[in-house]
Amino acid sequence: MTDVLECADCGRRSFYSKRRCLDCGSDDLVDAPAGDGELLATTTVHITPEGVREPNALGLAAFPGGANVVAQLADAAAVGDTVRLTGERDLRTTDDGALRGCRLVPVE
Amino acid sequence: MSEHDHARDEPGGSRAGGRRPVIRGVGMTAFTGADGRPLGELLRIAAGRALRDADVSPETVDSVHVGNMAAEAFNERSGLANALVGELGMVGARAHRIENTSASGASAFQDAVMAVRDGPHDAALAVGGEQMSTVDTSTSTEIISRITHEGEYAQGITLPSFAGLAADRYLGVYGATRADLARVAVKNHSNALSNEYAQFNKRITVSDVVESPPVATPLRLYDCCPTGDGAAAVVITSKDASASDIDDVVEVAACESATGTHAVADRADPLAIESVRVAGTRAYETAGVGPGALDVACLHDAFTVLEWLEMEELGLAPDGEAWKRTRDGETAIDGGMPINPGGGLKARGHPLGATGLSQIVELVWQLRGDVPDERAVPGPERGLAVNVAGFGNNSVCTLLEVPA
Repeated sequence: MTDVLECADCGRRSFYSKRRCLDCGSDDLVDAPAGDGELLATTTVHITPEGVREPNALGLAAFPGGANVVAQLADAAAVGDTVRLTGERDLRTTDDGALRGCRLVPVE
Repeated sequence: MSEHDHARDEPGGSRAGGRRPVIRGVGMTAFTGADGRPLGELLRIAAGRALRDADVSPETVDSVHVGNMAAEAFNERSGLANALVGELGMVGARAHRIENTSASGASAFQDAVMAVRDGPHDAALAVGGEQMSTVDTSTSTEIISRITHEGEYAQGITLPSFAGLAADRYLGVYGATRADLARVAVKNHSNALSNEYAQFNKRITVSDVVESPPVATPLRLYDCCPTGDGAAAVVITSKDASASDIDDVVEVAACESATGTHAVADRADPLAIESVRVAGTRAYETAGVGPGALDVACLHDAFTVLEWLEMEELGLAPDGEAWKRTRDGETAIDGGMPINPGGGLKARGHPLGATGLSQIVELVWQLRGDVPDERAVPGPERGLAVNVAGFGNNSVCTLLEVPA
């Protein structure tokens, strides 16, 4: 999750798996480092499914190249903060094992 | 308007297919937190009410469209459409189930409209229902969260999570207050007071909303629609086939849908619900009218903030200004653009597969003048409904009008 998919043709980036670019339709997508993003919104979720921490603090962040992401917040962070996806960890437990990924962490 | 009227009359124009679908009858069950009856019975009751309202005998119905999201998960059942056909005396009719998550009802309606509009079917029944009371809140939250992208699912994201983020951003960007948001819920609860089919018949205040338990901050319990049980149904025929001598038909001017990105954060603007905008634009084009021609709208207010976002996507308010319309009373029943006169998802309830059809039922009642005075929009001639799957994965927009 620290990487994004970048379109080799138009440069549009995305965090979420897909076969073709959202903007230009190219299938030439390559991995690229996500870099630093800006926190746009936060929420603290108090009713969560089994296997998910409760409360679950989430952030919506915008990264370079048009890549937005919703991810768990590691620490208290405010809208406008610079954030980074880091620290691969268990995010959620399921009957089939843990689902892993990164949390959003404020950058000094 | 004249060029629009002209375009409409052209065969092969925007209303492709040539036959104008009309709604002959509607019916629904009262939505409730827990209806003790089985899902199949709820579907039969709603369908029976629509058939009686239409004065159409079951054996003339030749196409059946059942909207339901998750009977396998909630009821451990499949084959809903085939069971319904047998119970209602429609054996021989074409029948199938339509699944489009929380917009399954409107997708079933769209499928039925197309069956009549494009032929060869003469009478279609669209019925949608869901029974969610079979599981606890945590389980239903989990069932619904399984519609998210795997990258969202791993983060534990639920549907209220998206709404909480959207609300946080909307309030931050446009300067609306927490109390402004509460006014959406207060209005929709007030509208539902005179709706005997609504799950909630309870007046609430702004302080009730802002003091209710937090669900996904800044959203609280009273910003969120409930889970529940219910079914709603519509009978559609073609105008030329049967309805010229029948009073009280409502014409389907347009029913269009559009998909959006699966992952919500893949949208360039995280506050945009592009599928609503695209479905709405297509519906306006098909009907040959714009948002200014609407007298009433039923929007998908699963969360208070969605009513604002959808108003803006549909041109019912400029971007960033829907909250002012709510604050100024413009969206109340006696306002300039009444929204959710039946209580919306917030107060009528949201039994997933039933919701889209319950919006159509409410619009038909409004257009026929079949609602109590307390929630009657004055003399409406044209109404819009929008039913949204997921947090904008797939939206269906319908325009209904009283025939000229």
